[in-house]
Amino acid sequence: MSVTEIEESFQLLDKKLLQFMDQLELLEEKRATLNSLIEQGWFSISKARYSMGNKQVSALQYASEIEPQVHVHTRKLSSDESVFCTERLSQNKESDVASVEDIGSEEGIRRRNKPKDFGEKEAQQKTSGEKASKVTPGKRSEQNPDQDPLRWFGILVPQSLKQAQMSFKQVIDLAAEIATLQTAVLNTRQQLKDDMKNKPILQKEASATQPDGVSD
Amino acid sequence: MAGRGKLIAVIGDEDTCTGFLLGGIGELNKNRKPNFLVVEKDTSVTEIEETFKSFLARNDIGIILINQFIAEMIRHAIDAHMQSIPAVLEIPSKEHPYDASKDSILRRAKGMFSAEDFR
Repeated sequence: MSVTEIEESFQLLDKKLLQFMDQLELLEEKRATLNSLIEQGWFSISKARYSMGNKQVSALQYASEIEPQVHVHTRKLSSDESVFCTERLSQNKESDVASVEDIGSEEGIRRRNKPKDFGEKEAQQKTSGEKASKVTPGKRSEQNPDQDPLRWFGILVPQSLKQAQMSFKQVIDLAAEIATLQTAVLNTRQQLKDDMKNKPILQKEASATQPDGVSD
Repeated sequence: MAGRGKLIAVIGDEDTCTGFLLGGIGELNKNRKPNFLVVEKDTSVTEIEETFKSFLARNDIGIILINQFIAEMIRHAIDAHMQSIPAVLEIPSKEHPYDASKDSILRRAKGMFSAEDFR
């Protein structure tokens, strides 16, 4: 191995170390944000409990049917790293479905004053009406409008509970980012550890190629 | 929904679980098994450990959030988990602030600079 190659490999090692340090710094920053957001969330829950009553906002009020509103997608990269990203079921979807249902049911209504081709069109309308009536019950059971966890604690919940929900939603998104960073940190550490094992061999080679011994 | 993602599980005190459930991570599956555990004063360490291991074994869980003081109780189980999925995240609790020196991941990363690595 030539001197330049050895120097290059040392530079690569330094780069990886710097990358490792950057990742750790970023992780620390995100951790600090996460911790402060969680604290905000708790504070808001406590405020809500203060205004709603001591025994409110407790585990006893969780719904009997709970469906997740947020999912995390994981993707494995080639270098043993994993990427986590969250996906939230949008609340707007429910209202969209409701409006589609209304239109569908209106189409199903039979019109009185029909000009020509009455038979064919009516047959089409009947089939479309049947389709709509077949589809809607299924959608209704899938998209339960009471899925918002805020509803577990009452219909008119205080603003502070909504703030708590907002904080924890942000925490969930941040948690996925931190999970990604954690795997990246561990991966870089492993790479660095493997490279460090080869460093003494390279150093020996470097000193052998430079008999005059330019130190470091 | 096509390509449904994984879940986020949580093991924590009541307020932590309530907060995350408000955020929308909660699920009760067909077998009525939740993806969360509310740890109270009378919850045993064995129960916590078993729940943690059951979360690790479930392939529909992507991230496990756990209060650091609870993680301390089952540290050996957390240290033994080396896979990247599910990722284990230690979070603070109301009475116990987050301490980076106790975090399994950061301790592993810190191990990089032990004397053995420089030999």
